[in-house]
Amino acid sequence: MATTTLTPTGIRSRSSVFAWITTTDHKKIGIMYVINSFIFFFIGGLLALGVRAELAEPGLQFVTAQTYNELFTMHATFMIFLFVIPMLVGFGNYIVPLQIGAPDMAFPRINALSLWMLPLAGILLLMGFVTGGTAAAGWTSYAPLTEDRVLAASGTGQDLWIVAIVLIGTSSILGAINFLVTMFKMRAPGMTLFRMPIMVWTVLVTSVLVLMATPVITSALIMLFIDRNYGGAFFDPSRGGDAILYQNIFWFYSHPAVYVMILPAMGMVSEILPVFSRKPLFGYKAFIFATAAIGALGFSVWAHHMFTTGAVYLPFFSIMTFLIAVPTGVKMFNWVFTMWRGQLMLKTPLLFAIGFLTMFLIGGINGAFSASVPVDFALHDTYWVVAHLHYVLFGGSVFGIMGGFYYWFPKMTGRMMNETIGKAQFVIMFIGFNLTFFPMHELGLAGMPRRIADYASTAGWNDLNVLATIGGFTIAASMLLFVWNVFMSLRSGPIAGDDPWEGNTLEWATSSPPPAYNFDHLPEIRSERPVFDLRHGYPAEH
Amino acid sequence: MSSSPRSRSSSRSTALFALAVGAAIIGLSLLLLYSGINVADEGRRVLDGLYPPIAVTSEGAQIRDLYTIIFLIAVAIFIVVEGLIIWTVIRYRRKPGDDSLPPQTHGNNIAELVWTVVPTVLVIFMFVVSWQTLNAVDTSSATAQTKIRAVAGQFQWQFEYLAADGTTVLYTELLPLVSQGGGMVVPAGRTVQLQLYVPPNDVIHAFYVPQFLFKRDVVPGRQTAFDFTVNESDAGQTFRGQCAELCGTGHSIMLFEVKALTAPEFDVWLDDKVAKANATPAPPPSGGVGEIVDISALGVKFEQTEVSAKADAPFQIAFANNDPGTPHNVAIHKDSPTGEEVFQGEVFNGVAEKTYDVPALPAGAYAFVCTVHPTMTGTLKVQ
Repeated sequence: MATTTLTPTGIRSRSSVFAWITTTDHKKIGIMYVINSFIFFFIGGLLALGVRAELAEPGLQFVTAQTYNELFTMHATFMIFLFVIPMLVGFGNYIVPLQIGAPDMAFPRINALSLWMLPLAGILLLMGFVTGGTAAAGWTSYAPLTEDRVLAASGTGQDLWIVAIVLIGTSSILGAINFLVTMFKMRAPGMTLFRMPIMVWTVLVTSVLVLMATPVITSALIMLFIDRNYGGAFFDPSRGGDAILYQNIFWFYSHPAVYVMILPAMGMVSEILPVFSRKPLFGYKAFIFATAAIGALGFSVWAHHMFTTGAVYLPFFSIMTFLIAVPTGVKMFNWVFTMWRGQLMLKTPLLFAIGFLTMFLIGGINGAFSASVPVDFALHDTYWVVAHLHYVLFGGSVFGIMGGFYYWFPKMTGRMMNETIGKAQFVIMFIGFNLTFFPMHELGLAGMPRRIADYASTAGWNDLNVLATIGGFTIAASMLLFVWNVFMSLRSGPIAGDDPWEGNTLEWATSSPPPAYNFDHLPEIRSERPVFDLRHGYPAEH
Repeated sequence: MSSSPRSRSSSRSTALFALAVGAAIIGLSLLLLYSGINVADEGRRVLDGLYPPIAVTSEGAQIRDLYTIIFLIAVAIFIVVEGLIIWTVIRYRRKPGDDSLPPQTHGNNIAELVWTVVPTVLVIFMFVVSWQTLNAVDTSSATAQTKIRAVAGQFQWQFEYLAADGTTVLYTELLPLVSQGGGMVVPAGRTVQLQLYVPPNDVIHAFYVPQFLFKRDVVPGRQTAFDFTVNESDAGQTFRGQCAELCGTGHSIMLFEVKALTAPEFDVWLDDKVAKANATPAPPPSGGVGEIVDISALGVKFEQTEVSAKADAPFQIAFANNDPGTPHNVAIHKDSPTGEEVFQGEVFNGVAEKTYDVPALPAGAYAFVCTVHPTMTGTLKVQ
């Protein structure tokens, strides 16, 4: 009788959820990263709609000034720390071992630990809403506003914010070590460093940035926590501390973090363009050196966020900021000339990749204005900067992520997504994005500072704010289409097969979705396009 | 062959896509026609909007010239690269049924050299012209004829006029607008040195006047200064300014005005103000033993939303300002916070209390507001 209670069916019915929670499989972990990131993307998006609704007309209609400060603070916090960064880590988790022909990540259990820290951090941040207010000092949390101050109006929420960001930072550091060890130790035979796909290279450079920069912000946050709770005075000028010190440490991490948020998206685009153009990436090695150069230069430009403090050596940070445009420009031309004379298959992934190119270009160009110190004196902390950063992080990263999602969805699920809805989503998102963020250039030039809850009706900013709000809700509409597409495709999308796009890299040489430990058999690797070689014949000499 | 159904479906979806884009363009054009918007005028307006305001300082004018150089380079890059992308996408679309493999170009050293060297030259050029402008606009000389100290605090500005030896000769009122007796008054045509200060126990603010095309952070524990010269031709104008660094709940109400007077007018204004400030203030009118109304402020808010007083009899307001280091007052306006002002109490820093003597008011609805922080309001019923 006792044996009947241990029937296999009983174990199996419990294990499907249990198996996902306890899994150390990089593919399941990658998918859970992606799902977790999308959840916080939608929460962050709702907060942004709150911001746009409030700014649509002068006066405070929906929220108080304090709540408004919480809205944009938490919007940025969720989007940066719990959407863009973990989303790219999630894709890296799924794709990197497959692309280098490895069975899993080097440290599968640490991988699971990195993942599960994120929802915990998200819950800590959300708890601010029920403990008397979240952090409200902007995602930058500049001291001394975040010091213990009567009118700073930052209570427990600010402490929860510090703890959550330290937790996310720890998760990032563990992930970075895991990626680096995986890439250096677990590549398949024949997969030399200069045969690794660009996606893998961008994750490699990103991991180095994370490893070098994240401990620095962690130290800043711990000092801030001590200041707030244990009577420290690191950043409190009234007790001998230095307010500028916080900004230096903060941006020493947070500028490289911009590259953490864009490089893997560049990697995704660099995977999509060759496949849908049916050509190799133009200048593969130049692209790798450009990526490494961006990573290296990225550590010498942090103070361009501080030009107006009057406390930094301006010419050095200005020239370094200008110079970082050079490797970025190299990449742009490499992408365009990858498509040049190609056979462009205008499917949804390629549309999003083209969206990335056209919009990220604007984010690069308007960045040059801020690199010029005197022009930055006019533009700093105005809506111009809000336009610039969204052209980089939305026009760049989000378009790249969407392209990557449509590209790898068939591999992850075994089903294709609906092309018609995908294209509709792209068109609506593209229009909504430009409607939201292009007018912000004009608002900034007209003198509207960022992070203000209200403005005078006589300031002349009304019409442009209405446009931006309409655009914001248009983006939200495109996201509804996206969610619908995901659910419909999961249920009834056409079966994808192993290689629906005629891909170049190793993930397309296994089944969709791949089995546990990924490969039963690996093709010979003689170039950066092993699956292309398998399909069209190996190059005679390389 | 398996290729034919795929190419048929891809041509169908391309057609659908083209149809959608076409419909969007036609719809948008109809909308524009219907709403009577002149496309050429709108285009010009957008282009003007991509330019900073006309600068009213000589430094701002130099920054605007620099903006023009960078703007032209940016537009050129934008047109060339976006044009290249769009042309490539249209020209090299896969034709239905064409499954041939395009030439497998891996790179071109000369092309890659060109698009490394040309941008490098361009950015170094932009850096050099920026540096030259920087040296011209970011200056602070000890010889400036007029020295003003801007004192920032949560959430207001105060402007002090300094004598040659650095001592303060005049404080302006802690009020945002020049018409209220606050703000900053400057002589057009003269170089003004603006020193920025915030008490060490306050937070970071930023002095920003859009028409100066300039801003500078005001950091606790640090002193900075910069020079500016308002054009003589802009005398008589008032410019809007506000805090540009998130400083807490009241960030968006931390406004101020800058008024430019001709140099002789400014001298008269300053002498007049100094003389008035030095005169012994008149003794406060000895108020009757009217009714006392309690009002208090905390966290840049009035703690009372509604108070009442008797009509046609003088009364007193006992005002407790409980915000440390932050100035408030109570002013009474007819009907609404923006209505006609019938009484304005003295502005003072917290934590402190003051009693105002309010003259008799006819029965009706009034609003009480803080003149420094216009978002602080409440209603006063006089009956």
